[in-house]
Amino acid sequence: MILEGTIRLPFSYAAGGIGTQFLIALRDEQRILGARCESCSTVTCPARPFCSQCHAAVTDLIEVGPAGNVVARTETPGKGVFGLIRLDGANTAILHRLVGPVDQWRRGARVSAVFAEERTAGINDIEGFVIEGDQP
Amino acid sequence: MADASRQRQRDVAVLGGAETEIVPEDLRSIPEMVLEAVAGALDDAAVQWEDVDAIVTASVDLFDGLTASSIAVTEVVGAVLKPETRIAADGMAAAIHAVHQIAAGAYGTVLVVAHGKASMAPHWDLTEWAMDPVYLQPLGVDFLTVAGLQANLIADSNRVGRCASLGDGACAVVLSSSVPSGAAVITGTGHDLDAHYPGDRDLSTWSGLQRAAGRAYEQAGVRDPATAFAVAEPSCMFPHEEGLFVEATAIGKNTPLSPSGGLMEGTAPIVSGLTRLLAAARAIEGNPGRRALAHGAWGPAGQGHAVAIVEAT
Ligand SMILES: [Zn+2]
Repeated sequence: MILEGTIRLPFSYAAGGIGTQFLIALRDEQRILGARCESCSTVTCPARPFCSQCHAAVTDLIEVGPAGNVVARTETPGKGVFGLIRLDGANTAILHRLVGPVDQWRRGARVSAVFAEERTAGINDIEGFVIEGDQP
Repeated sequence: MADASRQRQRDVAVLGGAETEIVPEDLRSIPEMVLEAVAGALDDAAVQWEDVDAIVTASVDLFDGLTASSIAVTEVVGAVLKPETRIAADGMAAAIHAVHQIAAGAYGTVLVVAHGKASMAPHWDLTEWAMDPVYLQPLGVDFLTVAGLQANLIADSNRVGRCASLGDGACAVVLSSSVPSGAAVITGTGHDLDAHYPGDRDLSTWSGLQRAAGRAYEQAGVRDPATAFAVAEPSCMFPHEEGLFVEATAIGKNTPLSPSGGLMEGTAPIVSGLTRLLAAARAIEGNPGRRALAHGAWGPAGQGHAVAIVEAT
């Protein structure tokens, strides 16, 4: 016999100091921030409180993008097209939605961020990335 | 001077093991499945409960729908009134932990048990909850999406290929410092974690596996991986991962991969790597000097890797 059940409970996640600055910049200024490492100069985007390459603590935030190059892309059935985008000024890639038909996406394509009209200080304040020049 | 971790470790025998048949939905409970694997492993290893000094289990709460999922199997792995360690990763990582316990002299004989029941919930939906809650969960990114990004870099595909059939299963292996003649022994192990955020890593390689294999080769004294192994047993869940595995381990084109069948026709999450260790040991037993490589992987697009080198005595 199989007993059916559902797990459903609200949860609260701390975005942290750096995460909060990143999300507020999306909401209020439509700017994308990277975290610049003082030890190895790597710019990690999205910004986190540590360097993605040498793991030192990072406090220095700089603006990156909003344009960049597609590093990889995939279509997940039922969810849409996702890509890794290396934004101008960043050394690592941000994972986000690619908006538009899947066959137009090629690795290396130039893309730019489109921001949502209603922004709530979340990663979805970026609606997705479109081929540069295709902005509405 | 070489640091201690690079020195050849004490040999640890794979005394025996057993696994349940992988089925899409096993109507038995987790303890019932685990009981079958454990009883089979003790029987195969010709040891009794009292011979087992400690237990290492592998399970993931998220996949079991309860917290501290090792509690569900405490009795059936014989861990009541004994030392138990629980690893929340693939079973191969649990086996490596047990090898270290034995090599350190803490215990003589350790039972390693892994279970996974993919039928309990939509697996890919569950993996969303294993992703970063600030930057990835709100986008709906799951392990399938990250595997798809990796497949795009390897195979230039729009979508990831068909995943190995995921079902329900359990596996148990007995490891020991006492090495019967003819037994397969673990002569080297390696283990590595890459960054969690997919854009922080170079997804075009399994560099974590390269480092894990390198550590295992150094311990086992493997100088030329292209000719060292009679068999390799990889934990590849998607078609594009086989190329990543061969490149990262440098086993070359001539080493047979999973002659016993591999994972594509059926495997259970968390259990895969431990079944590879058992398959590798069985493939070389009775052929002194022959070596096999066993591999386990976990997390999005192979974030974690564990490797064991098995050698027949
Ligand atoms: Zn750094």
